[in-house]
This record gives sequence, structure tokens and C-alpha cells, in this order.
Amino acid sequence: MGNVSDKKNDVKKTEKLFGLSSEEYSKISELLGHEPDAFELGIFAAMWSEHCSYKSSKVYLKTLPTEGGKVLIGPGENAGVVDFGDGDVLVFKMESHNHPSFIEPFQGSATGVGGIMRDIFTMGARPVANLNSLRFGSFSHPRTPYYLSEVVKGIGFYGNCMGVPTVGGEVVFDECYNDNILVNAFTIGIAKKDGIFLSSKCEEGNIVVYVGSSTGMDGIHGATMASEEFDLKKNKKRSTVQVGDPFTEKLLLEACLEAMEKKLIVSIQDMGAAGLTSSSFEMADKSRKGMIINLDAVPLRTSEMTPVEMMLSESQERMLLACGKDQFDELKAVFDKWGLNCVEVGEVIKEKEIRFFYKSKLYKTLDVDTIVNGPEYKRPVKKPEYLNSVKPLKTDNYKIPEDLNDTAVKIITHPNIASKKSVFTQYDYTIGTATVVPPGFSAAVLRANGSGAGKKGFLLNASGNSKYTYLDPFTGGALAVTECARNITACGGYPVAITDCLNFASPEDPEVMWQFANAVEGIKSAALKLNTPVISGNVSFYNETAKKEGDKTTVHKIYPTPVIGMLGFIDDVENAVTPYFKSEGDEIYILGRLSGNLGGSLYMGLEHGNFMQKPSEIDLDYEASLQNCLRSLINKGFLKSASDVSEGGIFVSLAESAITCPNQTLGFAVNYDTAKNSARIDSFLFSEFEQAFIISVDKQLSGRQKAAVSEICAEYGIKLEKIGEVKKGVMKINDKIDLKSDKIKEGYFSVI
Amino acid sequence: MDNKKIKAGITVFPGSNCDADVYRVLNGVFGISASFIWHKDKIKDLGGYNFIVIPGGFSYGDYLRSGALAARSPVMEYIKDYASKGGIVLGICNGFQILLEAGLLSGVMLTNNSLKFECKDVYLKTLNTETPFTCALKKDSLLKMPIAHHDGNYFAEKKIIERLNDKNAVIFKYCDENGSITELSNPNGSMHNIAGISNENVNVMGLMPHPERSSEKILGSEDGGYIFQSIIKYIKER
Repeated sequence: MGNVSDKKNDVKKTEKLFGLSSEEYSKISELLGHEPDAFELGIFAAMWSEHCSYKSSKVYLKTLPTEGGKVLIGPGENAGVVDFGDGDVLVFKMESHNHPSFIEPFQGSATGVGGIMRDIFTMGARPVANLNSLRFGSFSHPRTPYYLSEVVKGIGFYGNCMGVPTVGGEVVFDECYNDNILVNAFTIGIAKKDGIFLSSKCEEGNIVVYVGSSTGMDGIHGATMASEEFDLKKNKKRSTVQVGDPFTEKLLLEACLEAMEKKLIVSIQDMGAAGLTSSSFEMADKSRKGMIINLDAVPLRTSEMTPVEMMLSESQERMLLACGKDQFDELKAVFDKWGLNCVEVGEVIKEKEIRFFYKSKLYKTLDVDTIVNGPEYKRPVKKPEYLNSVKPLKTDNYKIPEDLNDTAVKIITHPNIASKKSVFTQYDYTIGTATVVPPGFSAAVLRANGSGAGKKGFLLNASGNSKYTYLDPFTGGALAVTECARNITACGGYPVAITDCLNFASPEDPEVMWQFANAVEGIKSAALKLNTPVISGNVSFYNETAKKEGDKTTVHKIYPTPVIGMLGFIDDVENAVTPYFKSEGDEIYILGRLSGNLGGSLYMGLEHGNFMQKPSEIDLDYEASLQNCLRSLINKGFLKSASDVSEGGIFVSLAESAITCPNQTLGFAVNYDTAKNSARIDSFLFSEFEQAFIISVDKQLSGRQKAAVSEICAEYGIKLEKIGEVKKGVMKINDKIDLKSDKIKEGYFSVI
Repeated sequence: MDNKKIKAGITVFPGSNCDADVYRVLNGVFGISASFIWHKDKIKDLGGYNFIVIPGGFSYGDYLRSGALAARSPVMEYIKDYASKGGIVLGICNGFQILLEAGLLSGVMLTNNSLKFECKDVYLKTLNTETPFTCALKKDSLLKMPIAHHDGNYFAEKKIIERLNDKNAVIFKYCDENGSITELSNPNGSMHNIAGISNENVNVMGLMPHPERSSEKILGSEDGGYIFQSIIKYIKER
């Protein structure tokens, strides 16, 4: 990107580079009463970037439910907070680090994890678990193995060193991500209810303190870079990627928590995107105050840095905080102990402006409101052209494959279905002595380790399906929420709150904005119905790449990819249910109802080469009843396993239930009356839009217990149908599927 | 003797991250009195502790080599002194690496042969039960415990291995769930499937798997607890 100069005459040249539109530039000039110099422009461009200002998404995000239930603090702070009971709170958020991870996958993903963890411990919470949601290009794309191994290594590098278990996530491959991979990182932390720290508590006269790593040249313009599309011809964005040092962050974590415990901090904000700029302006704004910032005091890695570079550096592992005048010495002693910088860089003032001092002179004064109240757009929306050809599937037009065994094997060994064990074993998921159900199953289940916490625990899941969202943005958005909830409910938990990470192409494209608006509407509907407020989140636009192919430049856009991270609670972790079958002879049931709609399924793409059909709309009332019914059955102790039906359909649910048991390989014999249910066998096996769970129950259940099960189902109006029993070693469905469990297991665990 | 009267010291280096887990398990599960020893604490005489645990983590970010910097930290001088007087020292994961780097145990750790961080459950075979760390176990007992490391590929020259064998100082080996010591059950390429060794006096032991993460049924295994129970038993009977 070249260096950023402070000289006025360079402004025109850097204008485009800063990512502002000419209208925005004019507006800035008008607000300032003069043309901005490089310092002003740098700050405006960062704070008015899509990444920091949410200027295109805000109007939609405002519509999401953010309150109610156990929510204590919704969006607006570094992360959202929910009440965990017994004086404890959980703090969580998910954030994207897509653009840096595409440019430099190891550092990009590592600092993504580092950044989200800082958001959590800034609030006073000790991070206790990480999740991630990853999207890579087509599995056969030559660059995919590189991205996969580097991103996973980066996530492990940072999380493992920090001592925070990475307990789950998703890995999805699709060619729409060939030139824009997605790395979404989630962290949850635990704090005492009265030990939450905010960025809005600065008081006049407080000392402004800089702690952590020194400021270097890395990551300058990170925020504006993430607000631009890529141009592969100009792959020169490397200096915009930050470099992570998890060891320093571990020290920063311990030092911050120790200082917080000692009540030495009044207000605090991490230096994430746009570093010192966003932290100072946002803290000042939220506290309704101003600041003096002495740039001469900022610890630097190189003396050559200009003021604007100091302001825009995204060097990692730094925090800005405010403390009382008489607290500074004690605060400094804590950071000294951990070997970290702790430097007085300014003061909180009453006037809502930031006065920057440089070389001992007043260098610049900027008005807080002007900088912080960036533009807000209601961008044009237009229903995408392609959706006109997405119609409900006419199943009759497609033949049932002759060898369904072959189809079943193809599906269970598809990279998006096959086990991701080789990925999550690179993450430390056992540290913290809290992981009750490890990654690789429906949802991660963790116990609360605090004193007097009893047996309560919490569950985590991250899900999203971009193909469904592409085919029907509303349904895709809603399904991301319900899928998380299904995974949490299938373990016996109840959904509590969500964070969203919305990954889209350019908001300046009306079709993309239409996808965005509808996906958010879907999330909203499902979140309202399942009573899971959105307490934090992040939007990542511009996930698209211009590519020159011959004389033509085409823009490759990702599918709209809303990802949801959900928190659930469970009263007793010992009652958590895992999705795999437990013993031979147990009875297998379908709980719920089947649509049989193969439209948009993996099966249609793989077997018939066309998945451009409409997904079934989700009945949210039914979904809520279904999940309540399942939870009730689990709480009464009737179920030995529960697994939701999602990608790959019932066959995949059954097969995974049979082969993911850690210490044995089971199978099943299933007989489903397709004639009676007027369904095709392929629809039964592979339809993905089923509001249903595969459950297993002990065959020894007494008549009275079975009656109780039926009663619960009747109460919620949910159908329960026995379809077979758990076997050893074989997978049989009607007379169509006959496979050896060992073989399927081998394939399932060896693809990735 | 009441467990509460047993005092354990847990070292904390910058970057230690299993210290809190060991603390929780020793105090919460086994009811002994464990406390932290900050690496700069000047507790020259560690004699007040019944045993010392060097927990896992990434001390000093694993910069230079895993454990290399921590091994040269002031507290390690006191620990060497403590060990030379017969004090019981247990190093877990990074703690094992530190003990090797400090010369309290013989051999080195190489990067896992997969070149990746490996987190999973493994089985261990107990080869020597006449140690403070295994005295509550029967010979050949199988223990299920998780590993989580990047550099656990134990290596030593032939002479050292022979001496370890002579002195019964190979305490644990990786094995499969039936107790067979096989290549397939070796998670990191470690020489002869070695998972844990002691010094010749068997008062200092290092092991890669994490007993503190496998001391409670709800976490999938209580087997790691036998190591702490052994230490407690040994101290009580001494």
C-alpha cells in the first residue's frame, strides 16, 4: 500500500486508497471547514469505514431483537453479556477476520482469534472457550490445502498458547470462497456480575493509559482494507495484516484481569480495528467525554512513525484504559510484574474533543461527535436476477439413482459432511478442565468451574449455511439460528442468546444488499421465535474479488454467509445427551416431520448436478414446539441419543449416529414405509429441510415409560415414528441401503 | 494425615496456562493445600512444600525451544536444590519440557512427527509402580489421559535410553486400549513410545499427558487422578 505521508499535498493521491467515496470526502471537508490533511483523513477513513461504522448495515441491525431473557448487556460494548446465575455472567461475541486471512492465512486467523479474545477480557471476563466458523474454496482447488492448514495452524497457535480451549466450529468448502475465504472467530468468557468493565465509564481527570505491546507499522489501514474488495492483480495488501504474539496477549490477559480484580481500571477498550483511533474516539464518545492524547508518549517499535501511522497501526496485544490519578502507580506495578508497557498517554477532559499533542505541541484537535457519527446508508436493494430461476424442485424430473449405496457413500465422504477431526485435534480442547462434550458432536458442552457452580453448564454452537442463504436469503438466515438451536437442544440444553457474523459481498451492489436485508429478517424472525436475542456481532462486507479472465473482468462474490454463534444453558451437565447411538438393540425414532424436499440439497448437486432449487420455508412455530418437545424428552431421561437432520439428510444423521461413538462402531436397520408416507426413497434419505431429529431410546423402556414418551409428544403436537433399531456393524435402510459401518467410518474419518 | 495438611507448590512462569487447572484439581478434587509459586518469588527453601508441580503451558511463549527459557528462571535453581534433597517434583507437558531443559531429567523433546499440535485421548501403560507418582497403581495399569502438545516427541541417545531402562526410570509408555505398545498408539513419534520418565532417584517425573484434565469422571476419565493419589499416598506413608 505504500507509506502514508503526513504531507498535505499527498492527500489527493491517497484519497482513493483510504477507501472513502468522493461524497464522503466532500462531507468531511464540509464538516472540517477545510480539506482534510492526511492525519484527519486517516482518522475519518478508519472511523467511517464499513468495518468500524457499519454504515450500510446499521439500519438493518437495529431491527434485531437485542433484549430480554437473560441478556444484561446487548450490542454496543466490546461484547454482549448474559446472566449465568449465582453472580456469574457470560460474555461473548463472534467476529470475522476474512480479508487478513486470505492475504496471510496464518497471521490473519491467529490475530482474528487474538482480537476476539481481547474483546472478551476487555470486559473483565476470563475467556473460557473459543469456536470458529471457517469457509474455504472448493476442496479440490489447488490453494485450499494451503489455506486450510495455515488457518487451522494460526487458530491453534493463538488459542492453544493462550490456554483457551477451542471447543467447536465448522469447516465448509465451496468454490464461491476460492478467492475469499472466511474466518469467523468466537470467544466466550466468564466474569462476576459486579466485575464487568466498560468503555463508557471515563471520568473527567482520569489518566488515559496505554498498555501492552508497542506500536509498529503492521496493520495500518486494516479497517479500510477490510472495507474494499480484492483485486488479484494488485495483491499488495500484506502490510495491512497484523502479526500476532499470543504470549504477549497471555501476559496482557493476566495483567488486565489482575488490575481489574484490584479495581485499578475505570474504563477500558481494546485496540482492535483502527487501533488507537477507534479506542480513543469510542471511549470518549461512549463516556460523553473528550481526551488529551500525547502521541510522544505512545510506545513505538520504530522511531520513524508519523502521527497518522501511530493512530492507524493495528499492532496487536494493546489496550487503552482510563484510571484514577491516584491509581496509576499501582496499575503500573501490575503491568511491570507481567513485563508489559504501561504508559500515561493522556487525560480525560470534559470537552467532547480529542486534542492530540505531538513533539510537545498541540498538533490537532478533532471533535468526537463529528468523527464518531459517520454516515449511515440505506443502500438500494434489488431482488437478485438469479433468484427468478430458483423454483421448487420437481422431483419427478429426476430419476432415483440405481445404486443408492454408491450415492450414500459419496455423500457421507463429501468434504462438507466428513469428519473434521483432523482439524479440531490441532486445537487444545481439553484445557480448562471444563469440556464435557468435545468438538465433533452437535454442540460443545462445558461445565461451569466456579466455586459453588454445582452441575450447571453451558453449550456452544456455530452454524450457518450459505448455499441455503443463496437460494433463499430469508430462510438461510432463519435456518442458521434454528440449526444452532437444534444442536444445543439435541444435547439437552436450551438456547439463550446469539451473536451473528454476517459475511457478504459488496453492499454497493443492490442485489447483495437485498440478500443482506432478507437474511437479517430471517435471523430476526427465528431469534424472536426461539427467544434468543442478538447480543453482539459483526458484519463483513466486500467479500468479493475482481478477476481478469481474458479481456473481461468478472467479480466473484461469495454466497451470502450469515453465521450464528449460540449460547445455551443446561442445568446439569451430567444429563447432556450426545448424538451417537449407545447400544445394540436400542430403538430408533424420527421425532418431527419430513418435507421430503430435495431442493437445494447436497444430493441434488452431487447426483443430479443441479441444486438451484428452493429450500423449504421453515415453520418457526413448529420448530419451537419440536425443540421444546425434544428437550422435555431429554430432561425426563428417556433418550440415549439425539441428532438433528441437516445437510446430507436422514442418511447422514443415521450414519453419524452409528460411527461417531468414541469406543465402538455401531450400525442400524431401518425400515421406512415410503409408500404409506407417499415419499420417494431418495427424498427420505437425503432431503435436508426436515424439521426432525433422529433419536434412540432403550428397548427396555417399560410400557409406562413409552406411554409417557407418547404423552410428551402429543402434548407438543409432535409426531414420533419408530423406524428401526441400532445394530452392530451394518447400515441397512429398506432394501436400498446395505453398507458396512467399518467401511463408512474409515471413509468418514479419512477425507480431511 | 489430613489431605489438607499436604502442601503443594505450583510454579507459574509467564505463559504457564495449566496452572489454574492443576490448582483447581489439587485443591478442589483432592482437598490438599496447593498454592502458586511465581517464577520471581524468592522462596529459596522450598522445603515447606510436600511436592512441586511444574504445570503445562507455553512458558515464555515457547520461544527459543519449549521450556528452554523457563529452565533458566531463578525459581528453577530452588527446584533443583529441592529435588537434590529428595523433594517430589512433577512436570506436566511444558513442565516435562522444562525439566528436560533444566537437566533434571535426561533427553530432549522434538516436534511431534505429525508436525502438528495434537490434542486427543491416549492410553498409557504404567511400567514402574515403585515411585511417588505411581505407588497407588498396579504394574501395567492402563490410564486414559488427554495429550495436548506440539513438541512431545521424546528423544535421547542410546546410552541414556539404556540407563533409563536399567534404572526403571521409564514410568509410562503410550499404548493402545488393550495395553499393546504399538507404533499406531504413539501419538507423537516419541522414542520407544515413552510418555513419562523419572530421574534415577524417582523423585522427579515428567510426563506429556495431562493428569489434571483426567481426574474427574465428568471429563471422560478419572485415570489421571491416580497420579495425584499416588503422591498423596506416598507422602502420607513416608
